[in-house]
Amino acid sequence: MPIDAATSALNLSFPPTTSATGFVVPQSRSFTVSVNPVVLFSILDHYLRRQENQHRVIGTLLGVRSEDGSEVEVRNCFPVPHDESQNQVAVDMVYHQSMFELHKKVNAKEVIVGWYATGSNLNQWNALIQDFYSKEVSPPFQAIHLTMDTDLKNEEKLLGVKTYVSAPIGISAKPENCLFLPVPCDVKYFDAERSGLDLLASAKDQTDRSTSLISDMDNLEKTILVVQEMLERISEYVNKVLDGSVPANNKVGRFLMDTISVVPKIDKVEFEKMFNSHLQDLLMVVYLANMTRTQLAIAEKLQLLV
Amino acid sequence: MTSNGSTTTKDGLSNVNVTAALDVEGNVPLESVQLDGLVVLKIIKHCREFFPSPVTGQLLGLDVNGVLEVTNCFPFPGSKADDENEIVDGARYQVDMMRCLRDVNVDHNTVGWYQSTYLGSFVTHKLIETQYNYQQTFNNKSVVIVHDVSRSTHGNLSLRAFRFTRAFMEAQKEGKFTSESLIKNKLTFSTIFEELPITIKNSHLVTALLHSLDDYEHVIPKASSLDKETVVGPLTPNFDTLELSLDPYIEKNLEFLLEAVEEHSQEQSNFAFWQRSVVREQAKMQAALQKRKQENAHRLAAGQDPLPEEDIAKMFKFPPEPSRLDSLLITSQINNYCKQLNQYAGPTLGKLFMAGEFQK
Repeated sequence: MPIDAATSALNLSFPPTTSATGFVVPQSRSFTVSVNPVVLFSILDHYLRRQENQHRVIGTLLGVRSEDGSEVEVRNCFPVPHDESQNQVAVDMVYHQSMFELHKKVNAKEVIVGWYATGSNLNQWNALIQDFYSKEVSPPFQAIHLTMDTDLKNEEKLLGVKTYVSAPIGISAKPENCLFLPVPCDVKYFDAERSGLDLLASAKDQTDRSTSLISDMDNLEKTILVVQEMLERISEYVNKVLDGSVPANNKVGRFLMDTISVVPKIDKVEFEKMFNSHLQDLLMVVYLANMTRTQLAIAEKLQLLV
Repeated sequence: MTSNGSTTTKDGLSNVNVTAALDVEGNVPLESVQLDGLVVLKIIKHCREFFPSPVTGQLLGLDVNGVLEVTNCFPFPGSKADDENEIVDGARYQVDMMRCLRDVNVDHNTVGWYQSTYLGSFVTHKLIETQYNYQQTFNNKSVVIVHDVSRSTHGNLSLRAFRFTRAFMEAQKEGKFTSESLIKNKLTFSTIFEELPITIKNSHLVTALLHSLDDYEHVIPKASSLDKETVVGPLTPNFDTLELSLDPYIEKNLEFLLEAVEEHSQEQSNFAFWQRSVVREQAKMQAALQKRKQENAHRLAAGQDPLPEEDIAKMFKFPPEPSRLDSLLITSQINNYCKQLNQYAGPTLGKLFMAGEFQK
């Protein structure tokens, strides 16, 4: 899922070109970036906690690369204090180093893959910082620059997340001259994170921006309601198509067909048998569990009586 | 929470709360835990990466009017051995990390710790010791958050906040768990922990982010992009909860339950053995006492001085009562498993009937 659909840049992949000296030129290699939601959350938290007179914050991105280098997964990040003024920029290198060492102790697999900054515009300081991070990243790969538009000044009013790599421009390579090339970026997460993200998302329409944990039963109810709604929507659509009020869409039809064919065909007697045995197992387990709990409760009461 | 201007605080309202609460901090007992969205995701990430081995980490935040606000956290490095170096390293890591986080305006006030667990088997000696230390150091204002990765993958997040009850703290302070002290402190398996309700709060910016991520959910894929199967927004409805193959989960749970019950019966037989030996010793003592009394009666009849009776009691030693902590923990663990099974069975029954309906 691309976060930033607005970019019009086309990402074409060159075969690795070999320059005259026989070195593989890494700049020509295209790759995609995936970001773990925790990174985005951390960046926003960092931005919230910035110094009063600070306009933007930067930090280091940590992550892993796939073996062929075609995919970079940004999994973690940490803030780095920096100071920006009219004519100079200072990044706390010592802080960056010690924080990286600390992170390495917990998860040695994550390496520096780039850096982030808030705000949407790129300026000459970005180039300088990019130059620094390019040196931090192990040689054949490039540093990624991720920006997050925390001012919400873009047209869509979205927190546009964009990722770039840099390419040197000019005849003589100077650190302050570089070209930022956008790279595609998406959000990636795992099953366990999914449930957490879902819960967080349930708070997004609340006025107090908070939510509490729900029980398995409530969660199931919610999911069933969603499924029900979807079924209703699709049956409405199908009915409309049958009426002729909406033109039929072959692709949608094919999708429906696929979905229906997924339902396994099981013999009725067989199913009944499976269903009942499952039900019995489950009830048995519940019964035993309840019995054990009752035993424990009695024991508890007796213990206090003695 | 930093309080320099409206930019750094979460919002103006909590800013006022903080200053109002600073005077009463320390008096109001904790009533609930409020987690930042960031903390939830960080805990999940850390626990998932090292699943199934258990991991721990520190929680940072502030308690305000009985609500423990957890605003950040960091993981502890996994410990391989319990040697001296490791512990020193761990302590240095903690100090360094706190210092670094303070530099970027993160709350550097320790409010507790978190632990991952596999199927709810978290009631262990290690947890007891660690939490006891935390609660002692931080004046009962510290919680342990237990995250169950295996349950969370089924679609519903499992996070629970616990702290010890006062009764348990006192018993642990005395360091002995005999029947007497248990009765004195009214301590049973259900009064070891207090569970605190958890709420989750997002900052405004995070809300904005969630909305921007959500926008893709509403973008109905155009006909041309329908054949791309990868068009899945991060916030599309999650149907993991509808998963039907739950047998492995229940099986594992029952396995653990059986194990716990076995351990429990072992504890019971240990206790029974102790009781028997106490009774035996007592009988022996009584017999000796009786004998001495008879002897004394004879001596009196013979006009001799009676022998003292006190030293008999000293001749017999009662075996010390085994610590009841283990059996307490095991019962509480059994209780946990049973509860978990029950919680799980409910939705599963529902799903089963649903599947039944679908087949018709």
